[in-house]
Amino acid sequence: MTRWAALFALAAAALVAGVALGPADMSWSESLAGLLGRGDETAVTIVRELRAPRVLLAFLVGGCLAVTGAALQALVRNPLADPYLLGLSGGAGVGAVLAIALHLGGAWAVPAAAFVGALVAIGLVYRLALVAGAGIDPRVLLLAGVVVSAFGGAILGAIFSLSSAAELRNAMLWLLGGFDAASWRVLAMFTSYAAIPVAYLYYTSRPLDLLSLGEEPAQFLGIDVERVKRRLYVAASLLTAACVAVSGIIGFVGLVIPHAVRMVLGHTHRTLLPAAFLLGGTLLAAADAVARTAFAPRELPVGVVTALVGVPVFAMLLRRWTT
Amino acid sequence: MGFYLRQSLLGIVAAVVVACGERSAVVTGEVVDDLGRRVTLSAPARRVVSLSPAITELLFAIGAGDLVVGRTQFDKYPPGVAEIADVGDGLDPNIERVVARRPDLVALYASNANERAMRRLTDMGIATVSIRLDSLTSVARGARMLGRLTGTARRADSVARAFEAERDSALRVPPPASTRRVLILAWDNPPIIIGARSFLSELVRLSGGENVFGDVDAPSATVAVETIAERNPDAIVFFAEDAPTFAQRPEWQTIPAVRMRRFVFLEGSEFEYPSPRAFRALERLRAGLAEVVR
Amino acid sequence: MDDMILEGSEIRYRYPGADLEAVAGVSLSVRPGEMVGIVGPNGSGKTTLLRLLVGILRPQHGDVTVAGKAIGEWKRRELARLIGVVAQREEPAFPLTVRQAVLLGRYPHMGALAAPGQRDLAAVQSALERCDVAQLSDRWLATLSGGEWQRVRVARALAQAPRVLMLDEPTASLDVRHEMEVFELVSDLVHRDRLAGVVVTHHVNLAARFVDRIVVMEDGRAGAVGPPAEVLTRDLLERVFGWPVEVGMWQGVPQFVPLRSVKPSGESE
Repeated sequence: MTRWAALFALAAAALVAGVALGPADMSWSESLAGLLGRGDETAVTIVRELRAPRVLLAFLVGGCLAVTGAALQALVRNPLADPYLLGLSGGAGVGAVLAIALHLGGAWAVPAAAFVGALVAIGLVYRLALVAGAGIDPRVLLLAGVVVSAFGGAILGAIFSLSSAAELRNAMLWLLGGFDAASWRVLAMFTSYAAIPVAYLYYTSRPLDLLSLGEEPAQFLGIDVERVKRRLYVAASLLTAACVAVSGIIGFVGLVIPHAVRMVLGHTHRTLLPAAFLLGGTLLAAADAVARTAFAPRELPVGVVTALVGVPVFAMLLRRWTT
Repeated sequence: MGFYLRQSLLGIVAAVVVACGERSAVVTGEVVDDLGRRVTLSAPARRVVSLSPAITELLFAIGAGDLVVGRTQFDKYPPGVAEIADVGDGLDPNIERVVARRPDLVALYASNANERAMRRLTDMGIATVSIRLDSLTSVARGARMLGRLTGTARRADSVARAFEAERDSALRVPPPASTRRVLILAWDNPPIIIGARSFLSELVRLSGGENVFGDVDAPSATVAVETIAERNPDAIVFFAEDAPTFAQRPEWQTIPAVRMRRFVFLEGSEFEYPSPRAFRALERLRAGLAEVVR
Repeated sequence: MDDMILEGSEIRYRYPGADLEAVAGVSLSVRPGEMVGIVGPNGSGKTTLLRLLVGILRPQHGDVTVAGKAIGEWKRRELARLIGVVAQREEPAFPLTVRQAVLLGRYPHMGALAAPGQRDLAAVQSALERCDVAQLSDRWLATLSGGEWQRVRVARALAQAPRVLMLDEPTASLDVRHEMEVFELVSDLVHRDRLAGVVVTHHVNLAARFVDRIVVMEDGRAGAVGPPAEVLTRDLLERVFGWPVEVGMWQGVPQFVPLRSVKPSGESE
């Protein structure tokens, strides 16, 4: 029980820190007062309209990425899986860049195009991974994801080097990940959308446990393996595509958080998934706060911060793994 | 023969020597470029490849436009450049394409990215000059440098002096009643602002404004929306042809200048780099700001 | 017959893209308290037959009936409560303790998100004790010996509270002691707890000593079905395995010995 209490406490701390810290020159008390609507008008606006939705969005995206990572690790039976093995990062990037190159209008053109691009890439990977009309072969899935991602990346590289337009180069910066576009509206949209695949993943906790034994044993223990794999794949894809559309590509959360949770709470997905959600959200909310404040007034891409934190943590985990 | 002949011969020789010396003082170019390198040409350049739109424009301005045999893919001004051969990128250029134009002088932007290219060209015996055209003061200096290398020193000098005169009169324009605090926005997602070390920031200052990110000692930087909200600019200068999409996004509404649509849209290559047209640019900026910040 | 818990009649199956049928008309039935062995050379269709009997594969001809109902009418979860299978190969992707592994056998009984209940925990404990692995409950699977791991898997199948227990090559790569332990355990479970047992194995002699009936597979067909003493004759074994053998009786059960090959000089053993 104390472990859960610690998780919740960490999450709460990250949320509070995210609201209290920021590049704007405000003290902790000013920020927290601003949250309650008291104090300088600018401070209130900043805290309520900018920081609060941003911190919450970072938390939600972090949680979704962690949960997706855990589910995919069970699906492909590989502890090194993460949401981007689905192959969608290149697709999302190409979608966003196309939206800018074609001057597609509207404030939401880029995220919508990134979302579509991600889904196209996933569809391609899925098609490749279907072997002889049979089910999803996890090994082929892994390879297909790498290939499609590399392909998308190559297209982006070509665009980057051949294009003279500064806009396209700037579009690529978005890909590095960031929560600048957060607002209450985005938060509402994302939450209502993401709730469904997250709920499905949680509901599939038992099959996820059984899948880790292998597909045949799982079948013998009562799982319709092909159906579960398909649905898991779809849920994970929809969730990751939405995360990328909202905040670009943020690595390490989906890979490292499930392992960290497993070390403390074990493998049963019924507890692993909610804990991963909490810890992933905590990590990303904290990383976003660091990205905003470390070099104020300049801002780092969030993906850089998660990588800087993620790599040493990953090294630690690897050591633990091999002993 | 005797004395008079010897005198005449001496006289003729002296005259020839003096004449040679004078021509060499006007015709041969020796400059120290913006990377501190000594560039010497034995004869004025006849075929120049310009690897920067600012340099191309300057060459045309000082009357050396017909010497330009190669330009970058980004060059847009003056209109005649379209006919000149395109040699590709200006930074870390394609040496083959540059050399294919058989230049005797290659002018590059003074940057570390071009070091390798400069070395290769020098090794091949092609003179290179690097110019840093990033601020208004550099225009006059650059013009004079190019003038000496292309044998158009007189014309270049008059262009430089005209530019300096324009600058002086621009500085004498009284500043507006209240300082306008200006945000120069290059991109919205993620928000990229223009910092102190840039030509645009200089223009804003000259127009009587203050760059709200004047404390950022870099040409540009990524910032959070909340930083912009905190600094609360009076006007937002943005480079686009039509209304930017960020104006409709909810999180940008926290900035009063966005809510009140205090945008100054500037479009044109005269804003991209310092050039003889800089003061036209300044006028447009002044007018734009005056209209928006009443 | 009514007391048959698992019945297959005239089942045929061909894998997609294969020329020949893997199982070409086999009939088999098992009743509670009876242990049936399925033996035969590699490729004779043993594992395919097991998959058909469990419902992983659907026969292209013939029927499989479980507890009186056609197998197609059972939901997979329900089948998992009836039939416990110890598969040939299994590699858990993540580390588990013995107790956690056996608890997985209770999943067909547990709701989607419910915590394990008293019955589940009791079933796990009793399965652990029955298979004599209770003292290993908190050990990591990776630290177990081959024999211990096998007994844990049997415990897991037992935790499913099945009426049929099926094992696919349960003694592959085990040493003598562990082979005997596994077969003794399964025999005990079948005869004492009245489960129906089906064991697929290449170890004919061992099967002969433990099973009540033996099925000898030959190119997808059941070459012979019946008690080992009747079925395991020298002619049958030589035909099925393609090698000269000598058959002798050991405690009333046929045991065969493959003969060494004929020497070039014509001498044989």
